[in-house]
Parts: sequence; structure tokens; C-alpha cells
Amino acid sequence: MVNKNEKLVFDVIVVGAGLAGSAAAVTAARGGLNVVMVERGVAPGSKNYFGGALYTHSLLDIYPDFFDRKPPLERPVTETGFWFLSKDGMVRMTVQGGKINNNPIDAYVAQRAKFDAWWAEQARKEGVFLIPKTVVVDFIRENGKVVGVMTDRAQGEIYAPVVIVCEGVNNLLTQKLGLIKHDFKGNATALAVKQLISLPAETINTRLGLRSSDEGLAISVVGDVSMGLPGLGFLYTGKDSLSLGVGVTLDALSAAQIKPYELLQRYLNHPMIAPLIAGGQLMEYGAHLIPEGGWSTMPQLYTDGVMVAGDAASMVNAMHWEGTNMAITAGKAAGETAVEAHKKGDFSANTLSAYRKRLENTFVLKDLHQYRNMSRFLHNHPEFMDVYPNFLNDALGMFFTGFGKPKKQLYSDILKSLTSRRPLLKAVGDMVAFGRTVMGI
Amino acid sequence: MFHALVSIKQVPDTTNIRIDPETNNLIRQGVPTILNPYDAHAVAAAVEWKRKLGGQVTVITMGPASAVTSLRECIEMGADRAILISDRKFAGADTWATSYVLSEVIKAIHAEQPIDLVFFGKQAIDGDTAQVGPGVAVRLDLPIITYAVKIHEVDLQNRKVVIERKTESRNEVIRASLPAALTCEKEIAEIPYASLPDLVYSLRYEPELWTTEGPISFDPTQLGLRGSPTTVFKTGTPEKHKGGEVIKTAELGVEGAVRTALDKILAVEGMASLLGVSK
Repeated sequence: MVNKNEKLVFDVIVVGAGLAGSAAAVTAARGGLNVVMVERGVAPGSKNYFGGALYTHSLLDIYPDFFDRKPPLERPVTETGFWFLSKDGMVRMTVQGGKINNNPIDAYVAQRAKFDAWWAEQARKEGVFLIPKTVVVDFIRENGKVVGVMTDRAQGEIYAPVVIVCEGVNNLLTQKLGLIKHDFKGNATALAVKQLISLPAETINTRLGLRSSDEGLAISVVGDVSMGLPGLGFLYTGKDSLSLGVGVTLDALSAAQIKPYELLQRYLNHPMIAPLIAGGQLMEYGAHLIPEGGWSTMPQLYTDGVMVAGDAASMVNAMHWEGTNMAITAGKAAGETAVEAHKKGDFSANTLSAYRKRLENTFVLKDLHQYRNMSRFLHNHPEFMDVYPNFLNDALGMFFTGFGKPKKQLYSDILKSLTSRRPLLKAVGDMVAFGRTVMGI
Repeated sequence: MFHALVSIKQVPDTTNIRIDPETNNLIRQGVPTILNPYDAHAVAAAVEWKRKLGGQVTVITMGPASAVTSLRECIEMGADRAILISDRKFAGADTWATSYVLSEVIKAIHAEQPIDLVFFGKQAIDGDTAQVGPGVAVRLDLPIITYAVKIHEVDLQNRKVVIERKTESRNEVIRASLPAALTCEKEIAEIPYASLPDLVYSLRYEPELWTTEGPISFDPTQLGLRGSPTTVFKTGTPEKHKGGEVIKTAELGVEGAVRTALDKILAVEGMASLLGVSK
């Protein structure tokens, strides 16, 4: 039993028990450190929200026996891809089997409230001490160096020579340290709103063409869903629920004067979407900010005594819906660096720079760098949300209905449905720009 | 020294609960459990008075092993000792059997260290019976003050307590001799925001475990399903209340409307003789 007046001293403080936080904490604990993880929610996950799917590679990297631990997952992603919505139609472009039929499957649909609580519990089993319901409001500094954190509770000081900040998208602590000079930006932050709709598993399977509840979908929905604004819709299959949502950058929502819930309702009322959720019961309605700026809004990742990981560090690849895996990989790298710093007895920025070097050798910083112009690109090319999805619907629609019409006329009509929306040269330019920005080719 | 005992219950968070439309049973799967909100306020009140008078707050609960999280929450609020009464043999207990177990435990604690006040929440939000508090009080022969909203005075020397309780029409201020029992409304005390050391202490706190094996013994015929005289025959969702009939003065005039209303009342069988009037 502890003494109530004991000064709280640990080797490492992790702020935030999300995917990054618990990965950082367990890694540091495995290195023999005494780790405390401070979470503002009633339980880990209670403040977290996503589409969404988790990526197996990052989960196995922390727990090689991940699947034996009976994680609370919904369904594996056995079919994934794009749905292109026009005003009243849809083109589906998805992949199943083949390259994505791996063992284990590469991605699993999950619900963060359940999953993050479980994820933190795994870290607790390895000795991490979790303090919930407590907000870290500032750092404690001595001689200009961070030596701990201050919480919102009476006698709320916790001391440690190194702090790993995994505070999420609203990165107030990161800003307080001056690691980034501004609050999150409207053009680089998306607001995603989603509904979780409960339906019997058999109904989901029938409506979405799934053979059993061991199959599931992860779909990015492009086109009419965002009303031409830079953003995407999504659909994920839970065991007995569907997650449907839409994310659009804050400044676009503001400029268009569209309320996020109206956008979502419009999506759910779409003639191609409404039948999928008919008769379902609304279980959750939620929203979360996503730091889609990636590289362009990334803070400095470390300073004396502090490292930053996850959403707080803008580690999101909006194009590929990656973020959770980056958070986990970065959390692990920060944990390893904390262990190293303790071995050296040196917590200076110089020592902690190893954290960034670790990340430079992973997909995290490589991808974020490659996609560094992505959010600006989509901002400058709204046609990807509007012209091309509509064209795709028209073109395929005409191709498969052009009976009795000379085919030369058909192709001319198809081409016209593009050029009436976007001059041909511009369209070619768009594709080149897309290739350059996104694929780095 | 003031010794308060609080009896709490861990309940499913009924704000999140759904009812299976086919079986009419609560769907408990995936529903988070919480400390019964009224009980939380009861603990807060007990701790508040402990801090005023000096002393100790003991918290007990009968429930599954998972209820330790609710006990820890009470420690976080400032309770000093927590006991989990847990055993498969207690399972299925109705309010009668539950109050038997709790009263036996309270007796044993009282013998160790005399208790001044026994606190309960006014009711649990899952069962809503409001029977366990009064049931325990009757078994222990304690004065019981239900729906308490304020403790005005605890006088340990003269062995009395003054408590305000809510009724449908007014509040009553009641004096009772100590030891006494009360069931609390939320107004009784604000939930405190614990200091960080108190929170950390509670997270590491391990409640005592009391079972049928000890430290006290129970009459096995009084436990669990076997000790529960209540039988649930059927559960269901009550029909929605229909709006009353409207008698319009615009159509009948005031006198006509009153006459119509009276006729309807007096037409109810037995009503005329009950009111002592003739039709």
C-alpha cells in the first residue's frame, strides 16, 4: 500500500492512453522502466473515435501473440477499395481475395472505446501504471528542463525525467512546449462525423455480399458524399453494425456553410446507401478531428525530456487512411528511445533525437514525407471529389447501355461527358499532378 | 470518532441499456458498469461528515469480483476501508436475501468498531426497488430516514442526528437516535474531485474479500436464489400512457363541463359511497 503523501516519481510519463500511448508505455516497461500513463477519459478509449480499421502489422509488432490475446475486434477486412458516388448512382472498385487474402488479414475493423481499453490493459499487465480521469495541463520545469507534468487535480504533480506526449489531435501540450507554433489549422484538419448503426449480422452479410461474419468491408467513398468538398466518406462493417461517416476539412465546411451532421445525413440518405442501413438502429453518433496535414503540420518531434507521437504529431496519411499504425510504430520508437536515454542517464534533445532517426527508417516519416503535399493537392483539385467520380459513373453507365447505338458515337458521348466537365488537357494534367503528388512518380 | 458505513452497488449504466424486443430482457452485453449514482452521493456525504468530525468511512458491496472497481471509486472519494462480499452462493439474491447478507456483515463490522450511520443510495438504477436500505434497517432495528437530501447535524455525544428528507409535497426535518440508517438523494452531497494522491492510492487499493467461507458465517438457507422469496413471473415494457380525456368548457360551458366530469367520476364503481355522496 502506498503512502498518500508519497511524491509521485516514475521513470517515464506517457500522456494519453491511446494507441500511441499504450505502445510507448509497454515498450518502456519492457525496458525495465517504471512507467505511468495518464489518461483524461474515464477509461482508455472513451475519448477516442475513428472509422475504422487497425493494421495488423503494427499490432503484431507490439504483441507477436496479438491474436491469442483475444483482442476485441469486429471483422477482418476481406474486401476493400473505393465506391464512387454520383448523385444517384455508384461505381464500385474493390478488391477481395488475391493479394489481400493473407493470414492474418492485414486490417481489422474495431471500435476504439473497446479496443483502446483492451490495448491499455495489455500494457498494464506488463507493469504500466494507468491513472485515468486526469488531465495533464502543463509541464513541470526545473532550470528550464522538463522534469514532470502537472495535472488538473490537487497535489497533481508527477515527476519523471522523460515525458512521451500522445495527447491526440488537440495538441495543447505540444503547443505549450513550442514544438509547433500554431494551433491546428482548418485546412489541414478534417472533421469526421460518423454513425454506428446496429443491424443483424446476417442482414449485413446479405446486403454487402459477405459470405459470413468472418468477412468484412473497409470502403472509401468518393464523390457525391462530400458535396464537392475535399473529403471522403467511409463504410466499415462491424460484427453486427455498420460504421458510416464522412470527413471534410474544417475550412471547407466553414466556407461552404455546411453542417457536418447535414453532410452525414445526406450521405446516409443517398439512394445507393440508404438501402444498406434500412431498418438499422442508431447506436452511436460521434465526431473526431483528424490531423490530415501530415508532414506539413508536424511539430518538432522531440526536445529536452519530451517526445511527441501519434495524432499530436500529425502522423496521419489521409490518402491511405493510415494513422493508427503510425501512432503505434511511433509510440514504440519513443518507448525504445526512453529506455536508451535511461541507460545513458541523459534526457537531452540530443539523446532523444534518436526517436526521430528511428522513425526516419520506418514507413512513418517516409510516407508522411512522400504525401507532404497531399492535403494541399486535394484542396487545389476539388475535381477529384466531383468531376471524376461523376464521369466514372457516366462513362461506365453509358458503356454498358449503349446498345443499338454506333459505338463510335458511344465513345464520343463518353468523352464528351468528361470534357463537358473538365477540358481534356486539364484532365491529363490532373492525372499527372496526382501521380506526382501522391505516388512520387 | 465518527464511523460511517456505506452500502453500495455496481450497476449497468442504464443510460446505455437496451431491451431485447423479443425476450423483454435487458441486453447487458457490452454495457459498461458504474457505481450506482445515488450511492456515489451517499459516499460523498459520508466522507464529508468524516472530514468534519474525524473518523472512518467503511464501504461494502455485495456483487461480482468486477465490483472492486466501484469500491476503488469510493476509496478515491475518501472512504478508508472497502469490503467486497462475493460468493457464487450469493448469486440470484432478491432484496430480501441481499438485505440479510448486508445486515450480517454490518453487524460484524459494528462489533469490531461501532457504526454511527449506515448510508444507502435511495435506490439502484437497475432494479429501482428502493428496498434494500429499509430492509437492512429493519433487520438491524435501526431508525431509517429515506430520501435524505441534507444532513443538518450529527451529534456523536448526545447520540442523535438531524436529517432532512424529501417527500412528494414538502421536505421534513427529522431527528433520530444514533445509530441510524438513511437512503440518499443526489442532493445530499457533491461528488468530490479527488486529489492525485487520493486517486493513485485508490487505484492501488485492494478491497477485502468476504465470502461464505469467512470471516463471518451465514445461514445458507437465507442466501441467493434459495433465500429469495421473490419470483419474477414475467417482464415487459409498460404500455405508453395515453393522454387523458379533455372536456371542453368552450363546448359545454363551465357548469356543463364540471357536471360531465363529476358524472364520469361518480360513474366509477364504489366512488360515490367512498366520497359519501349520492349520484
